Amino acid sequence: MISLPGLNLSSQPAQAQSVPAEAVTRTQDLAANTEYRFEVGFSRTLTVKLQSGTAELFGTELAPSTTYSFTGTNGAIFTWHGCKLDVGGDVESDYVAEETPMMSFANLHFALENLRDRSIASGSTEMGPRVLIVGPDNSGKTSLVKTLTAYAVKTDRQPMVVNLDPRQGMLSVPGSFSAAAFSSIVDMEEGWGSSSITGPSPVPVKMPLVYHYGLKDPEEGRTFKSLVTRMALAVTSRLEEDKPSKQAGFIIDSSGAISQGKNGVYDSIEHIVSEFSVNVLITLGSERLYSDLSRKFNARTTDPSESVSVLRLDKSGGCVARSEDYMRSLRHAQIKEYFFGRGDEPLAPSSQTADVADLHVFRIVEPDPSGSYTTVDEYGISVEKPLFEPVKVDERMQNQILAITTAGPKDSQDVIRDASVRGYIYVASVDEARRKVKLLSPLPGGTLDTALVVGSWPEPVEGLVG
Amino acid sequence: MSLPAAAAEVAADFRDALQDLRMNSRPEISNLTLIAKENTEYAEAISTELEKHIRSTRPEWKLPALYVLDSIVKNVGTPYTVYIGRNLYRTFMDGYLVMDQTTRKNMEGLLKTWKMPVPESMDPRPVFPTEVTQDIENALAKFRAAQQQVQRPQHALPPRPPSLNVAWKGTSTPPQNAPRYVAPNDPRARPAYPPTPQQGPSAHAPTPPPAYHQPQQQAPPMSSVDLADLKTEVTQLIGATQNIFAQNPTDAALRMKLSALLSLKQVLDTQTLPPQQLEAVRQQVRALAPPPAPTPTLAPSTPVYPPQHAMPPGYPPQFPPMSAPPNLAQLLPGFRPPMQPTPQPAPAPTPSALNLAELLKRVSSPAHTNAAPVPAPYQPPFQGLPPPISTPVPVVQAPPPAATPPVNLAALLAQFNKPGAAPSMPSTPTQSAPFPQLPPQATTTAPALGSAEWLLRALSSVPNGTPANGTPIASQPMARQPSAPVNLMEQIELTTVSMKKPRLHLVSRLYEAKPNICATCGRRFESTPEGKEKKARHMDWHFKVKDPDAAKRGVSRSWYIPEKEWIEYREVDETAPNQSNDPSSTTGATKLKKQTKDRYVSVPQDVTLQQVPCPICQEKFETQWNVEANDFVWMDALNVGGKVYHATCFEEYSKGAGIEMPGTPDSVLGKRKAELGTNGEGKKIRAY
Repeated sequence: MISLPGLNLSSQPAQAQSVPAEAVTRTQDLAANTEYRFEVGFSRTLTVKLQSGTAELFGTELAPSTTYSFTGTNGAIFTWHGCKLDVGGDVESDYVAEETPMMSFANLHFALENLRDRSIASGSTEMGPRVLIVGPDNSGKTSLVKTLTAYAVKTDRQPMVVNLDPRQGMLSVPGSFSAAAFSSIVDMEEGWGSSSITGPSPVPVKMPLVYHYGLKDPEEGRTFKSLVTRMALAVTSRLEEDKPSKQAGFIIDSSGAISQGKNGVYDSIEHIVSEFSVNVLITLGSERLYSDLSRKFNARTTDPSESVSVLRLDKSGGCVARSEDYMRSLRHAQIKEYFFGRGDEPLAPSSQTADVADLHVFRIVEPDPSGSYTTVDEYGISVEKPLFEPVKVDERMQNQILAITTAGPKDSQDVIRDASVRGYIYVASVDEARRKVKLLSPLPGGTLDTALVVGSWPEPVEGLVG
Repeated sequence: MSLPAAAAEVAADFRDALQDLRMNSRPEISNLTLIAKENTEYAEAISTELEKHIRSTRPEWKLPALYVLDSIVKNVGTPYTVYIGRNLYRTFMDGYLVMDQTTRKNMEGLLKTWKMPVPESMDPRPVFPTEVTQDIENALAKFRAAQQQVQRPQHALPPRPPSLNVAWKGTSTPPQNAPRYVAPNDPRARPAYPPTPQQGPSAHAPTPPPAYHQPQQQAPPMSSVDLADLKTEVTQLIGATQNIFAQNPTDAALRMKLSALLSLKQVLDTQTLPPQQLEAVRQQVRALAPPPAPTPTLAPSTPVYPPQHAMPPGYPPQFPPMSAPPNLAQLLPGFRPPMQPTPQPAPAPTPSALNLAELLKRVSSPAHTNAAPVPAPYQPPFQGLPPPISTPVPVVQAPPPAATPPVNLAALLAQFNKPGAAPSMPSTPTQSAPFPQLPPQATTTAPALGSAEWLLRALSSVPNGTPANGTPIASQPMARQPSAPVNLMEQIELTTVSMKKPRLHLVSRLYEAKPNICATCGRRFESTPEGKEKKARHMDWHFKVKDPDAAKRGVSRSWYIPEKEWIEYREVDETAPNQSNDPSSTTGATKLKKQTKDRYVSVPQDVTLQQVPCPICQEKFETQWNVEANDFVWMDALNVGGKVYHATCFEEYSKGAGIEMPGTPDSVLGKRKAELGTNGEGKKIRAY
């Protein structure tokens, strides 16, 4: 296999023709307890610099001498004390909002701080707060998780953040589940920050543990619960020994899909609550969800140590329904960023060629249109389909990303399912005649003789490699 | 255009530009370097052109051309090092033989830097492979021996007018390293002195730096040859330490050692020490140094240096070392702006009795660096380096406190000593004596900064050692400072209603409680001494990660760590004093990492095998003398099935493949690890 770093790679993003009005900046005054909300598309850039006062984006404070630029971001810069911002560039829309949910977010943070202090007071025998945040799509779950994380970091805590939403990745690509302890600031421009790279980074990198789910909807796959269990096991094992993280507890971000509830049954939520021993359950927005969940969990208050506090926070008026186009661009951007980094801190992925025969790809088996996983074998007996089926790379796999797992190609399906992910490779092109595959790997020298998992999610990303 | 034609054209351009180079002109040299850099695909043609030019041009124009060569190999590196390295012997020796004595010194200076890594590069390998430079060294040694017998210059070229020399002098290696390296050295020397660290310390030797502000400093050195030798040794040791440090950039102990060495060098460069002190220092340095690689030719080369310094000090600084050409400046955004640290009157009080020990102590105290009046680029690269100006170099006063300082220095350095080598100077009891007064900031949990204990602890990987202030929670920020005592904290009920109550006063905990904000990233710190210290370390960290070479080296996304390693992984807080004071954070997984880097194989006897690169990264191995193996070895190397890989490359590979790393061949590694003072951080996976 040859490995030619940087060959044939174009890192130019598909920029639209919009010309940002670079030099023009204006001053945006914000009164105390208001926020500046903006939506910036993927073809535009907004720059923000704090001129005076204090301001924070999802809890992370803006540094006084840094100009931040945002692309493909919907955000809100909030100020507790009032501030002046220098705003430049170009946005889809922006406005100042006076009604924000920040006070309740902060209250929640301070309430969690009580629990953290209690954990410290107990000599770390008690675990800090275990928080799960649920709510419909676009209710601001991730923003709340970010805010709570940022406040905790600011208070010198080291919270663990767990992402169980396959729609968008945290420190990884969409379709993955990840967990990482945050001891350093949350990157403002990049969403969460960057996982580790082979060189120094101006914002401390985070070290995520990653599993690949590979489907869009948590409820559709058969691996969701197993992965939740696996993740819970890993996180709890780590917290047992990692005192700072144990005291700070963890915050779980979830997919809106699990909050829909089928006839009042929230199977996935219950599963997460029990596997992670969640004791603070935050519902965002939906009254019905709050009512259903509080009824369910308040009934279990026999043992105070196992009680779950169910709270409802108002959804921020800044939450907008993100279009499918936007979400696709976001996923695309996350995948691109995984390989190429961001504009000012580019990464050098490596282009490799491999034989089709050398790649052990396992495709996640999806249900048939009726939602069933059973099939009828040659004896007419209905059997359940396996979790994965071994496949050879073919042209249909072009532009997809494959998860490099830690499992071997001969391992059992359960082992492959539970295996954590070392990284992702991108199938740039498939030459079926020559039985060769051109791959994009995050760094040279990788190896591909482990089990590679591919699912229908995230969808193929075209034009990652020009 | 076909490739050969394009190559010919580029080569012709390059030749034309070269022919205009008649003197040591920095802009021209950087321009040529830029051409080379932008046309690496024609590197072979350019290299050939350059060699031809050096061979054919008039002797007095050879040196500038050699500086071009030097600039290219240092700033661009491969593939030029490969092409130029092939004929370097001839290119160099042909020129050397027709040069006058002064120019030869300059050439020797160049050669010397080629044996070292490029300053500031993370790549610890020398500019040219040792084989290449060694041949030249050998030839030079022979040449000198012959010359000494004849007792007269063999070449009757008239000495060049000094003005020319002056012009050339400032540019041994043009720009890239200048600001960073010069700063830690004697700042007063800077205007007149070129950035010479790579040129070898002897460049400074017998004449003390032109004393701008302390003219009385001109006291004659006790023994210039001794001093020059000593400086050479120190420089070599620094080089070796830098190599190791480059591999373990986060190793605090190494950093400490390095900064102590650098400051020692500074002391040597700027002060005149009585011979017995020099002797003491020398013994310590020798004890520290690994047995020198058998390069017998080195020794004869040193005495020849002095003529170089005979040049009158203080001629106009024609090429201020700072003025890096723009392209390089872009590459090196993190560099300290040149003139910034020149508010000469030292803000810190300069007690006249400041002795060496204190100087060193100060130098290794991060808290002190914080006091630097250098706002923008925060910190020198190694956190221990003093801001050049605020370190009052106690030049003239050095001799008076006579007996004690060298003892302190020796004692201090002895701490770095390997356990095996017997320290020749005093024993521990005396060590603590000179260090009772600590910087007031040092109220951390760490043992007194600068104290022997502190150094020991920095060096030792034993995390439990020396519980001086008995608070082993440095890496547990949570435990150290709960945001408020539990009973004082307002209890906020975890209910929906409670969340809606405005409690604006609590917000001050997020802001006012920590008034000291980092202007770069917005992280806040308390206004306590401890908070200040944390901020200082935080700033250090910011400085450290501004790696100008990052783009050049091609940074990639790392693989995620596997489950087990993740469970054992601990976050590293850049503001924690020694980033692994917590024994529990020294995980098995990261220990393994350390070990990986320490693996080595003996350099194969077969010459062709010696040239074989690592099959994974295609880079060559770095040859080092290894004490344990008593042989030349390739560090960070691993022999798997007859092929030699970089151990770290192979590990990366094997992890992806799920292959076991081959077992460690000998137990020696374990010992080595302990000596080096592991501080438990996996380099590859470390979170910056």
